[in-house]
Amino acid sequence: MTVPNWFTNALETRNPLCATWREKSMADDKDVLRDVWFGRIPTSFTLYQDEITEREAEPFYLLLPRVSYLTLVTDKVKKHFLKVMKTEDVEEIWFEYEGTPLKWHYPIGLLFDLHASNTSLPWSITVHFKNFPERDLLHCPSNYVIEAHFMSSIKEADALKHKSQVINDMQKKDHKQLWMGLQNDKFDQFWAMNRKLMEYPTEEGGFRYIPFRIYLTMSDRPFIQKLFRPISPDGHTHTLGDLLKEMYPMAIANDDEPRRYQVVIHGIEPLLETPLQWLSEHLSHPDNFLHISVIPAPTD
Amino acid sequence: MEEEEEAVPVRTLLANRHISPEMSSCFLDEEKFRQCCQLFLEHSDSLSDGWRWESVKDSHEGYLRKTALGTSRRRSNPDQISEREQQQTSSDPHQEKTSLSLQNNNDGIDDGALCCLREGSSGVVIQYEYHILYSNSYQTPVLYFRASTLDGKSLSLEDVWDSVHSNYRQRLQNGPWDTITQQEHPLLGQSFFVLHPCRTEEFMRPVMQAALEADRQVNYVVTWLSVVGPVVGLDVPLSYCTQVPAVPHCTFNSLHPAAVETSPD
Repeated sequence: MTVPNWFTNALETRNPLCATWREKSMADDKDVLRDVWFGRIPTSFTLYQDEITEREAEPFYLLLPRVSYLTLVTDKVKKHFLKVMKTEDVEEIWFEYEGTPLKWHYPIGLLFDLHASNTSLPWSITVHFKNFPERDLLHCPSNYVIEAHFMSSIKEADALKHKSQVINDMQKKDHKQLWMGLQNDKFDQFWAMNRKLMEYPTEEGGFRYIPFRIYLTMSDRPFIQKLFRPISPDGHTHTLGDLLKEMYPMAIANDDEPRRYQVVIHGIEPLLETPLQWLSEHLSHPDNFLHISVIPAPTD
Repeated sequence: MEEEEEAVPVRTLLANRHISPEMSSCFLDEEKFRQCCQLFLEHSDSLSDGWRWESVKDSHEGYLRKTALGTSRRRSNPDQISEREQQQTSSDPHQEKTSLSLQNNNDGIDDGALCCLREGSSGVVIQYEYHILYSNSYQTPVLYFRASTLDGKSLSLEDVWDSVHSNYRQRLQNGPWDTITQQEHPLLGQSFFVLHPCRTEEFMRPVMQAALEADRQVNYVVTWLSVVGPVVGLDVPLSYCTQVPAVPHCTFNSLHPAAVETSPD
């Protein structure tokens, strides 16, 4: 995908050593949050060929919100296919892309970046109603399951950022507001509460640790997640490049060799010089984690 | 302006972190986790009770693993969590399995697990696989497990909730969604059930403090597992608590907040 103007502009005007940069770019930064929230992926859903239907099932098209979850936004898809199927042929719905079962508990944008970057749109997802892959996928019988997963991610992120103090200070209705904001795609409702989770003591210059996960398509392991601070012990701002050097140095190409990997967040490749704290505040998913995909670079 | 006001509580809380005694925390770092596990395994070997260390390819990380047989207690328990599940259970063809049929199927399963069977032989025989992992985020151990019937059918989340020991039912009913849920195993990428770690520090702190006050060293992993294991049918023999050595300084660090982390916060 191409790099949107808002993002390259934000990066070009950024100077990590210049304290005034933060103030100057405040207005732009809010746009970043909106652009991230309203990111959409055109998707076609096709019923798996071996599913038993009473008549032919047409594909179904949908714009999927990048920051949401597959099972949260596909009620219409399910209804569409159930129309041509008998109840006894229907078990729990699950999704697959080119042979890979799609983990609904990963944000949609992450699934796309990880499995379908550099392919043509619309993203072509196959829908199954049989043979649920028990080992690979979590069951999702109701939205309660998604809510529990979402809140548990937010709690984990806050354990890293503030030793859980901000999330524990919130009331149940505040937690509900975060969830309802995501469920109903209400940017303002969500951010009115989420901004509290993004605060930190000015003198500390950032969160305690950055909640991040690095996903590698070519690894058995689902992701890398370790402790990493936004500021080095000698007071330097840690960048995306610093994080990758520490966690997965292969992702960064040496100057004299062709690039083997792309580092993708929300469909773009942020500059490696971008401060990690800024990325955490602006490019994290609503679950408060920075989901970073390291994928093979396309060969021409 | 509003932003300024909102930011204060967080800042105050964070600034007070090092000086307030009730804020003192009981965390375990990854290295000490591994040391605790090492000592745990040495004792397990002497008992031959089936715990193993599984390492992850190309990494120093890993987890403790054990399989065991148990019974689902759902039939004998009157206060069911879900009505629907109760109905399902009564039509479950596996429910009539008894401990007798189990005797032929216990290859590689330790004797300790068989003890559980005698208590609740009216339930369904369940094969459990327990994993103890380290959570960087919570700086505590976390218990992952999966469970299936002997013919390989995985238990649903409701089945697992229903099989929770009655002593812990109250806690589960108050908040099932933040007690046990299905989650991705962070090292294997497969579906497991997990006992949520977000309250671990809360219940470990008084235990570790009491131990310190009595001038008694305890192994964090042993103590923790003896609290959380029984919730999901994993009993820890008493000899672990009396014979597994503590990791030096593990308990003391936890009570001096300034020493918890090596680099400045």
